[in-house]
Amino acid sequence: MSIEAPGLAAGGEPIGQDAAFASTGSVSSAQRLTWLRLTWLRLAWLRLAWLYLASRRLPTVAAGLIGCGIALRVALHWHWDTYGALQLPLIAEAAAASIVAVSTGSPFGEPERVTGRWLPVLRLGSVLAATAIALAGLLIAGATATHLAGGSLDVLRNTAGLIGIGLLASAAVGSALSWAGPLGYLVIGVYALYGDWHGQPLTSPWIWPGRPVHDFGAALAATLVFVAGVAVVTRLGPRLRAQE
Amino acid sequence: MTVGTAPIASAPIRPARSRTGLAAGRLLRLEFKRNAMIWLIPVAVGLFWFDCYRQSVAEPAMWNLRTMNMQGQALLDFVPSVVGAAAWMGSREARRGLTDLTGITARPRWFRQLAVWAATTGWALAAYAGCMAVLYGMTAHQAHWGGPLLWPATVAAVGLPALAAVGFAIGTAWPSRFTAPLAVVVVFFALGLSSQFARGSSSYFQVSPGLSGANDVGPDPSIATFYHYLPDLPIAQVMFLVGLTVAVLAAIGIPAGSGGQWLRRSAAILTACGLAAAGTAVYLTGTARLDVHGMIAIPALHDAASNRPIRYTPVCARTAIPVCLNPAYAAYLADVRTALAPALSELAGLPGAPASISQAATIFHQEQANQVLINGGNLRIVKGRGGRQSMALVLPDQLPGEPSSPVYTNDDFIVQIYELSPPLIDRVISGTRRRRLGVAALTGPDAEQAVIIGLVTAARTATLTRIIRQANMIQVAPDVPSSLAIISAGRPPGGQLPQVRLPAGVQAAAGRFAALPAATRHAWLVGHLSALRAGRITLAQLP
Repeated sequence: MSIEAPGLAAGGEPIGQDAAFASTGSVSSAQRLTWLRLTWLRLAWLRLAWLYLASRRLPTVAAGLIGCGIALRVALHWHWDTYGALQLPLIAEAAAASIVAVSTGSPFGEPERVTGRWLPVLRLGSVLAATAIALAGLLIAGATATHLAGGSLDVLRNTAGLIGIGLLASAAVGSALSWAGPLGYLVIGVYALYGDWHGQPLTSPWIWPGRPVHDFGAALAATLVFVAGVAVVTRLGPRLRAQE
Repeated sequence: MTVGTAPIASAPIRPARSRTGLAAGRLLRLEFKRNAMIWLIPVAVGLFWFDCYRQSVAEPAMWNLRTMNMQGQALLDFVPSVVGAAAWMGSREARRGLTDLTGITARPRWFRQLAVWAATTGWALAAYAGCMAVLYGMTAHQAHWGGPLLWPATVAAVGLPALAAVGFAIGTAWPSRFTAPLAVVVVFFALGLSSQFARGSSSYFQVSPGLSGANDVGPDPSIATFYHYLPDLPIAQVMFLVGLTVAVLAAIGIPAGSGGQWLRRSAAILTACGLAAAGTAVYLTGTARLDVHGMIAIPALHDAASNRPIRYTPVCARTAIPVCLNPAYAAYLADVRTALAPALSELAGLPGAPASISQAATIFHQEQANQVLINGGNLRIVKGRGGRQSMALVLPDQLPGEPSSPVYTNDDFIVQIYELSPPLIDRVISGTRRRRLGVAALTGPDAEQAVIIGLVTAARTATLTRIIRQANMIQVAPDVPSSLAIISAGRPPGGQLPQVRLPAGVQAAAGRFAALPAATRHAWLVGHLSALRAGRITLAQLP
């Protein structure tokens, strides 16, 4: 999407009426209207970003992500033992990641792609914003709970990796079914934690939920998946399907 | 023939019922073609392979272990795909703003919704059937004996339509792009957690399809091996799942706009019937109890014919005293032979020695909460005629190869079975008449004690030598027993074994007796056992 603000030269210097307004300091109603119009245009990027986020249901996404944090906090009110204490946060993390992945979907499809020059930037911003909200919600829930098994680093690693899987799934099959990625991985993670408890550990770093918090390989794998997911969605966006 | 005289071609008039059936078929075909479940089948199959299949085939090749383990796992593996796809399809009309448009079509809305659910369920069942075929085929190829347990597979199969119905109802009620993932999380959490609440064998939560048996017993090699797999709990679970499916699907047809008045009334009646069936199943599950063979029996659903033991032809080891096992355990016959053969060679032909040893079923007893007493790994007298007695061998309830922490190896298994030898030797040499062989007493004369210790030492040396030879090790230096602890079978409840020092004379005589050739020992025992029991032989008279 191209944005050009009349009244501003390259570098942001005022020209024309705007320059006259800036130099004389006298304010007429016409000049005030012009000033307001220019200010509005200067803030167009903000409006664009807001419209983009609104089209991705950001308020709903934020509510859902905060809801995941609240659900985790409520669940941690009870005492969870054995491997269930690690599986429970993983379920909340997978739910948050699936919401982030689904939020990448566009209601406009191809028309938006052929007209939106700033689309990659907007995609990057929205994904990072949603990720930040998800992490904040879960970390606050963990910090205020009596005991979060695995700790904050575990939440950080798992959530980032799951979001990466969701974004990759969004690019592969479209945002509508992208939740299958993190939720499918949830089953694998739950099994890995079960295996840890029953003496059948899965040692692959790519199954990071089953690895200890300070396992560098697992942290690296989760980070790589997150970066790959963000990069792919930023560059290509979610896959468009005919029936969407 | 002119145009005017040519007969007018007209399509034959079909009965209305036939056209309705064709239209329903076309609708169903369209829904099968446009269903989101198609895209999610790879996810379901992949998860099944990674989780359920790998976990099941990691178990020993016994039908009961593999199929009972599969039931809950398979359902959890299919939750993301089935519930997600059903929720997504359920919210389709509202998400695309087609509710009003489709509301004026000839078919009632409920009818169309059921077609969508049926298509989603159909794809899920097709994928599940493929997965089951591979798992059961592999088990049939590897198992030594027995046939497939169909009830666990049936419960999981009936669970899939229920999962789809729940997901579909959630999607219909809250149409949003976020509904599907949240529905998956909620159902996954509920299904995974439901079985954890089961406490004891009379818990209502056993109706959860995640459980294939008593919660704290789980898949056990003895279950459904000696006695038929009890279908009581599976029947209750199927009743619950069918009731739930009917109730949920019928409830979708109740709101205004779902169809005509009679259709909505029918839906309401069906909802009530479904709830009644599900409630009855829950109630029946609450009346269950753990039977002695480790399975859940529900009196109202129990068939007494299921209590009859399964007939089988045992597999036997060529030991001095024959040891026979259930053919399902054929893979472990060599281990049992390694563990018991040395002791049985020493005892064969002696007065009071058993004529044969046959495997018997494990006995289960429900304790408080989820605690279950499993009477595995022991020997007991089952019948006696003129001093020639048979013995029942109950193998440990854990088998080598079963996933465990720490890893339970064949050597662990052999050593655990070997520990049954000392009480057996003690019983035959001392001539006691105890039916159960627990901790050996060693209350007889010194010479008798020395002979028992000597035989135990010889048997232990032979067993350990065989284990180490199997492991390709070069040398063995087994300990010479010096206390009562080594001739005990199992640990007494709640404490360490008593460490009783034997007199030096007894130890020396035992060592001397153990060092004799096996044939010499045996010949001496045949000739002197009566005198030994009567206390007429001193330590100095021992060879």
